[in-house]
Amino acid sequence: MTTHKSGQSGRKKVQVSFVIRDEVEKQHRAGVNSLQYDPHMQRLYSAGRDSIIRTWNTKSSREQYIQSMEHHTDWVNDIVLCCGGKNLISASSDTTVKVWNAHKGFCMSTLRTHKDYVRALAYAKDIEQVASAGLDRAIFLWDVNTLTALTASNNTVTTSSITGSKNSIYSLAMNPSGTVIISGSTEKVLRVWDPRSCNKQMKLIGHSDNVKALVVNRDGTQCLSGSSDGTIKLWSLGQQQCIQTYRIHTEGVWALIATEGFTHVISGGRDRKIYLTDLKTKQSVFLCEEEAPILKMAANSDFSGIWVATSNSSINSWSVPKKDSLPDEDNIEPVYTQPEQTIKGGPAIRKFHILNDKRHILTQDTDSNVAVYDVLKACKVEDLGKVNFEEEIKARFKMVFVPSWFNVDLKTGMLTIHLGQDEADCFSAWVSAKDAGLAHNDIIDQKVNYGSLLLKALLEHWWSTLVAEEDGDCHQDGPISNSPVKDYFRVPQHTPLIFSEVGGRTLYRLLVQDAGGETEMSILHETVPSWVADKVVEKNLPKFNKIPFYLVPYASSNVKSIKRERLSANDFIQMHKVAEHVYEKMLGSETGSMAGAGSPNDRYEDTDSTSLAEDKVELLCNDQVLDPNMDLRTVRHFIWKSSADLTLHYRPLKGNLRP
Amino acid sequence: MQQDAHEFLNFLINHINEIILSERPQKSKNGDGDAGNSTPEPTWVHEIFQGILTSETRCLNCETMSSKDEDFFDLQVDIDQNTSITHCLRCFSSMETLCGDNKFKCDHCSSYQEAQKCMRVKKLPMILALHLKRFKYMEQYNRHIKVSHRVVFPLELRLFNTSDDAVNPDRMYNLVAVVIHCGSGPNRGHYISIVKSHDFWLLFDDDMVDKIDQSAIDDFYGLTSDIQKSSETGYILFYQSRDTTETNINEAKVNGK
Repeated sequence: MTTHKSGQSGRKKVQVSFVIRDEVEKQHRAGVNSLQYDPHMQRLYSAGRDSIIRTWNTKSSREQYIQSMEHHTDWVNDIVLCCGGKNLISASSDTTVKVWNAHKGFCMSTLRTHKDYVRALAYAKDIEQVASAGLDRAIFLWDVNTLTALTASNNTVTTSSITGSKNSIYSLAMNPSGTVIISGSTEKVLRVWDPRSCNKQMKLIGHSDNVKALVVNRDGTQCLSGSSDGTIKLWSLGQQQCIQTYRIHTEGVWALIATEGFTHVISGGRDRKIYLTDLKTKQSVFLCEEEAPILKMAANSDFSGIWVATSNSSINSWSVPKKDSLPDEDNIEPVYTQPEQTIKGGPAIRKFHILNDKRHILTQDTDSNVAVYDVLKACKVEDLGKVNFEEEIKARFKMVFVPSWFNVDLKTGMLTIHLGQDEADCFSAWVSAKDAGLAHNDIIDQKVNYGSLLLKALLEHWWSTLVAEEDGDCHQDGPISNSPVKDYFRVPQHTPLIFSEVGGRTLYRLLVQDAGGETEMSILHETVPSWVADKVVEKNLPKFNKIPFYLVPYASSNVKSIKRERLSANDFIQMHKVAEHVYEKMLGSETGSMAGAGSPNDRYEDTDSTSLAEDKVELLCNDQVLDPNMDLRTVRHFIWKSSADLTLHYRPLKGNLRP
Repeated sequence: MQQDAHEFLNFLINHINEIILSERPQKSKNGDGDAGNSTPEPTWVHEIFQGILTSETRCLNCETMSSKDEDFFDLQVDIDQNTSITHCLRCFSSMETLCGDNKFKCDHCSSYQEAQKCMRVKKLPMILALHLKRFKYMEQYNRHIKVSHRVVFPLELRLFNTSDDAVNPDRMYNLVAVVIHCGSGPNRGHYISIVKSHDFWLLFDDDMVDKIDQSAIDDFYGLTSDIQKSSETGYILFYQSRDTTETNINEAKVNGK
């Protein structure tokens, strides 16, 4: 795979993300933004919001799925099939354009010239040229034969760029001979350029909103535009003006296909309805109605049927009547009520709730199914079916406070977990190894850091290869440290791992299982941010979070107030530890130290053999008696509920009531 | 240190409101049904000054419109040289595109998308307070400077930046008072005010009160050039709705008790 870079961009903070998903995702998980039909192979290509391009066999309705093309990390917004079906070019919200081997389904190269979402592609078949455009307002022209010849060593492409669009571009069209290119944008005008000279030719004014769909005829003399203003306009490029306006839809027009001779247009959009319109007579036929707004349509070779992509994950095929047998009257009922064929899509996750343990996530998908995911294991752990989401959140409430250490995003319809969107955050969750299920025995209670564990698991092939190489070099013969704690949970090896700039562009995507490969290792060497390498390779322990608090005798406890002691301890310290401290120090017992207050390097170890100070001292916060197993941060969050310094009260227990 | 008149206005309105609320009999003791933390009933301060702004956002991907209402006691408007209040209000409500690093998180799309946003007035207040943003932070100087731009404010005003579902979009307003800042910068100078009383304009300058001619109000529009340093410029404008005479306001006071 080759990479075309337009220059190393700034020093933005780098985050690590991964997607929780099945190894093979045979169904689209969210809307489908674009379609391409290959008439020779009778294959359909679909570009998903789930970041995956899929290939479908349209010959039979049983074995439809052929393969997935996975390398994008955000919505795939548009695709074009070129070189007679050999190659596919895709445009994505991850700001890249990718070139694929369409038959084998692998990514050949990545073009990184765009600076924002790439929304639209256009293809000039006769000269094998592709244009890409997007929210960065720029249009780039690509010679497909050059793109497909790129190799790892020869990876520079020269591109012509067309600049001058004043707004984000949402649609693009080129005629087969590549003599004209037209862009539609939120500027509400169509801009027409000559792709050979990259000069501006004209501006076509008439729409009152964004232009989202464009088609140009073969010789580049006429074009059709679909706009968010609800109209379709036919333009004469020679006269530089609109020659016809079609008001068929009740809402924005987002998808258009014209017949070869530019006599008819099929249109769809936000109102979910598909119409076939005679451009001359302006007569429209209501063909069919989809269940969701229509994003893209692709016709088969003889125009007897169309494939329709919507913001739902299923793709339907509908019949198109012959032009000479169109009904005369404007029909209120659709001509067709059932699609000819359906490529069924899967559900997209639409809601999530991070449980208080900051490890499990409750999700609800578009089919109302509720599930539980384990972030540490990067997998689904429970399917709950169609239960009430809000009730389930309530039922799973636990009075435990763990600092948040990751962010969740649902843009692809699957769970994407981001680490390091705020650098410090990722390592803020220290939890007992016992609670995490990583302790080998019950005697020693060690603490583990969630962020650190997960990064180790995600990058295990990378750092273990690095360590193995180093060990080989220096030939260390020290004993292999035998930790009482299992190091981490392994994550599914197919998990996609993504490095990207925070709020910005994707730098690198790979699968967890591939991180030990030679090429991957060298790219990772450049890409893994220091905040990750420091913990994963250098094995530095993240810092403990300290919470300052006051220990004060309870008003009616008859303990002479010595002083209002201001202490500071790790946020995971449990109340029985504080009770011990009170018992030993403040109530005048023997010497003892506040355990766990040391640096992260002295592992805080807690053995059950310590005296049961909790039987002798009771701790209170806001007049509420505290459970000895509750930790400091939970007390602060759920009982103290204030940003002021936490105050704990203590009182000795009169007699030991326990048997 | 010179205090800011707009800050003071905010403080005054909120403080009066709090006093009224604290003097109100406790509802729960009267056995009122909703003992929950519901918002207290509006006081006469609300009835006089409070309006509602609605921000309408349309995602450019799914084209779903979402709107959010918020209360206001005054509108804070940016100003341009040689313009009018009407122009400034038009700019206040002009369409803003959320794009680039500032995209809109669309609930329908579950992702960040470009969006168009605009702020319009949904409920017009009885007294409309307009705060001209004359103290602007200038990055090149690393401090706030006074913008003395000439901004004409008419004696009669009608709002055009109202939302489609506005309650009373046609309200006509009369200018009744202006707080004027005299001086060269935000940290020094002097405040005076002019107030319309019984069809006369009075100028209040500390303990001095003068009757002034209506035409003299023009002097407080601002400066057409940036050469002069010191200026006497309108800073907060108070417009009173024409359909609310003073008796209405007095009634509001009585009802709000």
